Order: sequence, then C-alpha cells, then structure tokens
Amino acid sequence: MSAARASVGLRLRRVALRQSYAFALLLLVITVAINYYLQPNFFQPGILSGNLLLFVPLMLVAAGQTVVVIGGGIDLSLGAIVSMANVVIVSLMGQESSPSQIVLALAAGFLAGTLAGALNGFCVAVLRFQPIVTTFATSFVFSGLALYVLPEPGGAMPLGLVNFFYTNPLGLPMVLWVAVIVLLLWSLLRSTRYGPYLYATGGRDLSAFVSGVPVSSVRFLSYCIAGLMAAFAALALALSTGTGNPIGGADLMLQSIVAVVLGGTRLSGGQGGVVGSIIGVVILSLIQSIVSFSGAPSSWQTLINGLIVVAALAGPGIVALLGRGRRA
Amino acid sequence: MAVVSLSAQHLVKRYGGVVALADGNLDVKSGEVLALMGANGSGKSTLGKIITGAVVPDAGRLLLDGEGVSFSSPQAARRAGISAVYQELSLVPDMTVAENIWLANEPVALGRVRRKERKERTARLLSLFENALGPSVGPDSLISALSPSDRQIVEILKALSREPRVMILDEATASLGARQVERLFELVGEWKARGMALVFISHRMEEIFQISDRATVLLSGKTVGAANLKETSEEELVGLMIEGGVAERHIEHPAEAAVERTLLLETEDLRTSVLREVSLGLTEGEILGLGGLQGQGQAELLLALFGAVPHSGTIRFAGEEVRFSHPRQAMRKGLAFVPGDRGGEGLLSIRSILENLLLPSWSRYGMFLNIRQARRDSEEVSQGLRLKMGSLDLPVSSLSGGNAQKVVLGKWLMRDPKVLLLDDPTKGVDVGAKGEFYKILSDLRQRGVAILLHSSDDEELLGLCDRVLVMRDGVMRRELSGDDLNKSALVSASVGVASSPSDSPPSGGLASGGAA
Amino acid sequence: MRRLGLNPIVIALILAVILFVVGGIVQPGFASFGQAMNILRLAAFLGIVAAGQTLVIISGGEGIDLSVGAMITLGAILVFRIGDGQNEQALIALAISLGVGLLLGAVNGFGITLLGIPPLVMTLGMAGVVQGLILVITGGRVEGEAAPALTGLVSGSLVLGIPGVIFLWLLLGGAMWLVLQRTAYGRRLFAVGTNRVTAKLSGVRVPSVLVLTYSLSGMLAALGGVVLLGYTEQVFLNLGDPYTLPSVAAVVVGGTLLAGGMGSYFGTMAGALVLTLLTSLLTALDLPESARLIVYGVTLLLLLSLYGRQKALRQ
Repeated sequence: MSAARASVGLRLRRVALRQSYAFALLLLVITVAINYYLQPNFFQPGILSGNLLLFVPLMLVAAGQTVVVIGGGIDLSLGAIVSMANVVIVSLMGQESSPSQIVLALAAGFLAGTLAGALNGFCVAVLRFQPIVTTFATSFVFSGLALYVLPEPGGAMPLGLVNFFYTNPLGLPMVLWVAVIVLLLWSLLRSTRYGPYLYATGGRDLSAFVSGVPVSSVRFLSYCIAGLMAAFAALALALSTGTGNPIGGADLMLQSIVAVVLGGTRLSGGQGGVVGSIIGVVILSLIQSIVSFSGAPSSWQTLINGLIVVAALAGPGIVALLGRGRRA
Repeated sequence: MAVVSLSAQHLVKRYGGVVALADGNLDVKSGEVLALMGANGSGKSTLGKIITGAVVPDAGRLLLDGEGVSFSSPQAARRAGISAVYQELSLVPDMTVAENIWLANEPVALGRVRRKERKERTARLLSLFENALGPSVGPDSLISALSPSDRQIVEILKALSREPRVMILDEATASLGARQVERLFELVGEWKARGMALVFISHRMEEIFQISDRATVLLSGKTVGAANLKETSEEELVGLMIEGGVAERHIEHPAEAAVERTLLLETEDLRTSVLREVSLGLTEGEILGLGGLQGQGQAELLLALFGAVPHSGTIRFAGEEVRFSHPRQAMRKGLAFVPGDRGGEGLLSIRSILENLLLPSWSRYGMFLNIRQARRDSEEVSQGLRLKMGSLDLPVSSLSGGNAQKVVLGKWLMRDPKVLLLDDPTKGVDVGAKGEFYKILSDLRQRGVAILLHSSDDEELLGLCDRVLVMRDGVMRRELSGDDLNKSALVSASVGVASSPSDSPPSGGLASGGAA
Repeated sequence: MRRLGLNPIVIALILAVILFVVGGIVQPGFASFGQAMNILRLAAFLGIVAAGQTLVIISGGEGIDLSVGAMITLGAILVFRIGDGQNEQALIALAISLGVGLLLGAVNGFGITLLGIPPLVMTLGMAGVVQGLILVITGGRVEGEAAPALTGLVSGSLVLGIPGVIFLWLLLGGAMWLVLQRTAYGRRLFAVGTNRVTAKLSGVRVPSVLVLTYSLSGMLAALGGVVLLGYTEQVFLNLGDPYTLPSVAAVVVGGTLLAGGMGSYFGTMAGALVLTLLTSLLTALDLPESARLIVYGVTLLLLLSLYGRQKALRQ
C-alpha cells in the first residue's frame, strides 16, 4: 500500500522533472480553450497558422536558448545575432537571385550566426567569463556588425522563397513544419552523447567533470548551436518580412527567455527541453491573441498580457508554496 | 580477468603544515579483499584517494602489476583499471540511473547513444541488487527521487560498469541498508572469485570481519600493522588502532564540586528526518561531547537545536520550552553555533574579518552604525582569542584555518553566549592552533558556558569533555563518563562492538545498530 | 578575483581619465568645461538609475533587476501627470512616484523569495506589467508637464555653472555609502550576497533583506525617472528602456561582483562615468553607429576580462 503510494509519488516527480513541460501543457490547454471561446473559428487552418507564423523566429531562437540554458548558461546576444545574420542573408540576395547566390547567402548567414555563437562560447567556456554580462557585451558587437552590413532597413528576398514561406506544404501550415523539424533536430542531438553531456554539465558540472565529461567543450558547443539557431531565425524573419532589418531581432532575446521558462526549463540548468520551449512560444502567441480578441480596451492590452505572463511564470511557485503550506 | 596486483609504498601527503599521511603502505592482489582500517583522521581516506588518482602524493611509490604508476586524475586511474566508489560525488541528481551510470561511457553506434542497450545493461546491473533496492528503482528513475542508500548502490554500479580490476570501496556501506550490505558482500565474493582486487575502507568491525581477508591498520598517518583476519580478534584490531592511545587531558577538571549546576538545555524525543528520539541535558559549565563515526546525525542535532532544520519533540532552555524556527530566535536566547563546514556555512570568505565578527551583532550599534565602537569590541574579542592577523579589514580568507575558526567562534563570543554548539571545530586546524582553541574552550567552561561539542577526533573528545554521547544512525547509543570515558570504550561504541561486558549498551542498541 | 591587485574603482577612474584625455586630443572641445559638465550630467542619469541595480547585484543569487527601464518611465510619467507643471504638486507627485516604485519593487522581491522565480525572469515579467500600467495610465498619449522647480533643479546651474543633477548625484552617492556601510541592512546585504547559508546561520533573515533590496531598487529607478524628466521635460513611452542593461554594465564595470557580496556604489558611479565617456567619445569621433557599437562591446569585454572570471573546475 505505502509502496504503491511511494511509487506514484516517484512517478509524479519523474513526470515533473522529465516532462517538465507538464505545467506548460496545462497552460496550453487553458489558452487554447479561451481562444476557442473568444474566436470560434480559431481552429481553421488559415487563422491558426496566420496567428503563429509571426512566432516562427521566436520559436527558433527559443530552441537555441534552451540548449544554452540546459547547459547552465544564458545568451543575451541571440537577438543581435538574429539581426546580424538577417542582414548578411538579405544583403547577399536580391529579388532575382540565382539558386547558387541563394545557397551562398544562406551559407554565409548560417556561418555568421555560428561564429557569433562560437565567440560567446569561447568567452564563457574557455575564458570563464560570466554568461550574462559577456553575452550582453557581445550583443553590442553583433549589433554593430549588423549596422555595418546594412545601415538602413531594406533589401529584398527572392519572391519565390517568400511565397514558399507563406504556403502550406502538404496541406500543413509552415509553422507546424518548422516546429516538427526543430523537434526532430533536437531529438537527434539528444540521442548523441552530447545529450547526456549537456544535461550533466548544466545539472552538476563537478559531477560531470569527475565522470569524464569534457565540460568546457560541451558549453562551447551549446553557444554555437544557439548561434546557428539564431541564424535560422534570421532567415525566417527575412522571409516573413521580405526584407532586411539591422535591428529586427532586438525583441526576440528577452521573449525567448520567457518562453524557455514558461516551457518548464529551469534557468539554473540541467533540466527541461526544447519541447517545452516550443509550447512556451505557442502559449505566448495564444495569450497575445486572447488579449486582442478579448475586447479589452487597447490601452489595457499590454497590462493584461503582462499580468497573464507573470501569473504563468508564478504558477509552479504558487503550487509549490501551497504544497508546502499543506504539509506544514 | 587477468591477475592484478597493487602496491603502495611509503606514501606521504601533507596539506600545508598538517601531515595527512606519513607512511602509507598497502598491498592487494587479485582475488582478495583488503580492509583498510584506522580511527578517525588516521589517513585512510587520503591513502584511498591517492590510489584512485584524486590526490597526488608528495612522496612514495605506487606499483601496478609491479610497475611504477602515477595518476594525474581519477580518469587516468580508471583507464588503468582502478575504480572508486564515491559518496554521491559523481551523480547528477536530475538525470536517470542509466544516464548516470554510463555518463561519459555510453554505448554508442553511428554517433548515437544506444539507449536500449544502455537501459538493458543498466537493468542487468540493477538486477544484481534485485529485492535490495527501493520498489520502483529502474534504469529510468531519477537520481533525485532515490533514497540515499539506493543512490549509493548506483555509485557502486557506476564504478562496476567500468569493469575495474581494482575497486576501492571507501565507506561505501555507510549509508546502505542491511539487505543491501548483505547483497553487496555476496557480490564482493563473486568479484573476488573472478580475480578482482578490492580495498574495503570501513569503520564497521563486523563488516570487516565478514568480507575481508587481510587488514592494514593506519595510526596517525602511518601503517602500523597488517593482519590476517582469520587469525586476529576484534579486540586485537582495536588495540592496533588505538595503540599508545592514552589520551592527553586538555582540560584539567576542577574536582567535581558539590555546586548545583543549572540545567541549561534539554531535549526530549527530538526528531528530524535523520534523528530519532534524541534526549539529552546540558548543564552550565560543562563540555558535553558528541562522538561516534562521522555523519551519524551529530551535525543534524546541532542544527536542530539552533533552529536551522525542521524538527519535532521538545527543547527546553533554562527550564522554559522553546520553539526555534529560525536561528535568529535561538541566537537571541543566547545560543551560538559553529558549523562544521567553516568556509561554506561559517564564514563570509570574501568579506573582512571585522564584518565576519560583527554579522550577528550589527543591530546593537544603532541605526547608523557606530563603527568605532564596533571596531573596539571586535578588537577586544580578537585579542581575547589571540587572533593572528594583519588587520581587521583584511578578508577573512587571508587567515589560516585555525585563525579563521577563531573568527567563527569570535562572532558569537561578541554576544556572550550561554550555550555553545560546536560542529567539529578543529577539523583542518594545525596542532598549535588546536591547543589555543582548547584553552579558549576551557576558559569558557570555567565561566559557566555550556558547550556541546561534536568532534571527529576521538582524542579531542576524550581530552576535553566531561561526558560523551555516542551516536549511531541518528540515535544516541551510549553515554560515557567517569572511568568509562576511555579510548577503547569510545571506539568500541562507535563501531558497534561491546568493549567489555560491564558497559554493555542500553537495550538492544548494539544488535539493531549493526544491522541498520 | 582581483587579478591585477588593483581596486576596480581605481581601474575605472583611471580609464575615465584616459578616455577624457584621449577625447581632448582627438577632438578639440571634448575636454572643455561645458562638454565635461554635459558628460557628467549624462553620467548622473545612468548613475542614479544604477544605484538600485547595485544593491540588487550585491544581494547575489543571480540577482538582477531588468524592470528598471520600465520603472524609470513609470516614475517619470507619474510625476509628469500628477505634478502637471505645478511646483506645489511636485512633492506629492514625487512621493507617489517613489511609493509606487517601492511597491512594485516589493512585488519583485516577493516573487523571487516566496515563489522562487529567478530574478531575471521575475523582473523581466514585471517590466511587461509596468509597461502595461504605463499604457493604461496614459492611454498611449502622454499629457502633462514637468514642474519648473524640477527642471530648474536638474538642468539649471546652481553653482559655477554646474548643473544641479550633479549635486543630486553626489548626495545620492553619500546616501548610498551610508546605507551600505553604516546601516545594519547594508552589512547584512553584503552577507546575504556572499553566502546565504552563513547569513542565515548568523541570524540574518535572508528573505526580508532581499524583499527590501528589490523594493529599494524599484524606488531608486522611479527616482531616476523623475530626475530624467527634469532633463527631458517630456516623457516618451520608452524613456527608460535604454537604461536597463547599461545600468547592469555600469555596476559590473564599477567592480561589483555579479556573483554578489562585493561592491560599492562609488564603483558604480565610476562605471557610469566610464560608459558615458565612452559613448560620448565615440559620438564625438563621428564614427558611424556600427563602429561605435562594436568598440563599445569590445571595451566591455576587455573590462570583463579584468575582473569577471569564474573559478575553474580543476583546482
């Protein structure tokens, strides 16, 4: 009897830590339900993907941020990397680009993002600088490089590519494809040795070190991955706006951290996953959609949005507090 | 498995001025279990750590299969086939059992971790302890959800997964349950038969006799003897461990005066997650010792008395029942606590000596602090303690261990405490500073302060205390005082051996203690 | 930690002097009295805003306050609307503004201590809420006026052509020194930032200290907003945003440990001066914005390499 209860407790604990997005799922259900109530045609593919398409860049940045956070770090420069990769891609392309030019531009953009991540990784993992201030400092460097490449918003993306971004391949919305591809890449990454190394490094670096995990390399690589993801986000941003913007990624950085935390990944590292962060991004978009369809006066919308986000962030803490109160 | 032999010859290790190991020797070969024995602080762990590459010796030789080796890291030792069972040091709490056991040693095919194989291999390892583990422990259980004993088993399996030729079990049984110990010993027998060499470091006498073939005994950092256990008795071994062991009195006790002393601190049926039914009384002008093996609940008891861990049961201070839920309340009543982890819990390492001394007392110096007065008071206390320092404004991290400990004590002396709770205060303190520390405690005792002292150094307990309570597994096992307060009684009570028929433990203490 | 054995405040001040001299050499007029006063005035805004950030970062536990930008704007707007250009109303408006800052800061503190939300996320969420409050209060349009007394105090030159805000800043510097060095709260704050276990076992109520710290940070940010209003005389909906992360940078450049437990407001003042000088110099050099940003970022990185490194795993 007591053994059975203990095993239920263990299982619950495992769910809470491993499927750390359990709370996020609950929020997702609630926000979907409210959206459906406010907007009965919510589930029509056009409406749904229209709502979410704007969030594709954030989804990609949040995925990269998640990898860094699991490894015990944080990256405040991802927004600037998005801007930089965005202008690199756009400035090497035009409306009439040939396929080879397109490939070259994309390669240059992805390389720029990865190298930027490598700089962060070098400072944090090898030189052992504090992640927060380091990535804040490098964000100036990347923003400066973005402005150097393209001082004013402008440029154009090949029409074919832009149009493709707004299609629904195989009848499924583009945003879903992006989410599925990100999740596939994530599960591939997790299935390599890098998966356990990353969690161990963020979870307890000393134990990882004693067990023989190359802790510095693991950290370094996590920043490179985040940089590359930011470059993918830059491409998505260029496609969704059709043009280049040297400060286009600025808002993504802080939002990506909120999405990661909403998705149940702990900022201190070693736990969580990309699945949760993607749910977190969807929740953010749904909250925004609730607020705008709620009929609240427009001047109240930001406040309501902010309060809901804080409430969502506080949720697990409140549950824990109530639990502690009951036991005492 | 190939035949293996490991030999340590004249190993020496010093930490600053303290000699942890003066002359460490041992020999072990395939198919045998060697017990490494010695009282607290005799250098066992240092010798074990040198063998596993965690500590580099200052002098001496290590021979593996007759060839000289030196390990720069635990990984290097592991590659040479020597694995150690760490005490939870190598586990990541939020990862599964399987992930932890195979961390940095995963079965890989085409760049991908073969999770199924890892799980199967883990299940096979876990099945070694079938029926001896918690009901739902499996390859996918999280370490943080496991009980301490199950975690320890995982550590053992992790060491085993590297297929070592030599395995070091350093206090590996300390947190295990009776069934797990029994199963471990069966397995040790199997590994032995397959040609593994094992070094077993333990305090528990009966366990040593159960599985070891030979024993090497350390005393004050020197190997003083090796014995074939088939021909040696428990008493003889205890004799080796305490040889010359007439403890020097550090405090001259005034003849037990007829003065009625007030009972200052009393507990009745005190319980925490670690402690059970602890009842004790502490009178003014007394030093009461807490003895026993390390980690038997002594630190927890001190923390509970100071209001730093949740507890149930009754605590009375000067006859009045008190309930402390924060150290601040205990502090206001006149209690003071010197924690065991000096750097981690006692000091603000990067702050000045002055600030460390004044931390509990700032509120006395007015809304805008009268720093001059505070400095005068600090100087007075530091002079009283004969603190050796450049200036009160230097960071406390600039002090030696002994002087740093004086600061931790000093911050409470500024408040004239009535009860002093000390958790192993002379750990890592050099001999000279220890003597000064004893003098300070003796003075405090004269002034009527009640002192509850936990120490991992048996000599210290015998030399300082009026009475000693011996704890094992969170329970008070025996009280030693008067003529009973001697080394062999203390060591025997700690390891769970009756030293002589006359002072047998209270009802059933021994029997259950050995098995728990 | 201090690898060069030099006091970080001294490093920052030396750097400030070097920047000033370099500015004077490459750009005639940069080292003039008027320009110097202008730079000091700009540094004062950043410095005042970074006062609360200093306390929060000293408190440790990954302490950071990302809501200061929004709090600045809110503080300014409250005075702007309630005060509405009248000197008599100014004091009440100031009190309300500081009170609201204190209250919202306390909410940050409770979220962090009671609910265990990481400071970074809690204050980030709070920034969103405050941004929303601002929109509700203003309805998107900001109407009101800065009180002449305020404008006079901040921008007018009180003595020898030195703007009043600089005296205000020095006054705050003195007050911050008093709080950090001469009150029990200040001493406990350092203890909490250094080692929370030691602090608790020495009788310090850690959560109370933290809540007070975040409250003070909110209040000081609101104060920064009020002062900034005296300079700009107008309020924008994102008035404070450009100060959020630079306030963190000023604190770190001033030698306060990001890990907590060590630091001073004088350091932050020096840090604010260095960052403002750097920005002004880069502007004076007529460099393109891109080069300015890159030099700024690289300089920050170099400063970090002087004193921001973490411990190695292998000891």
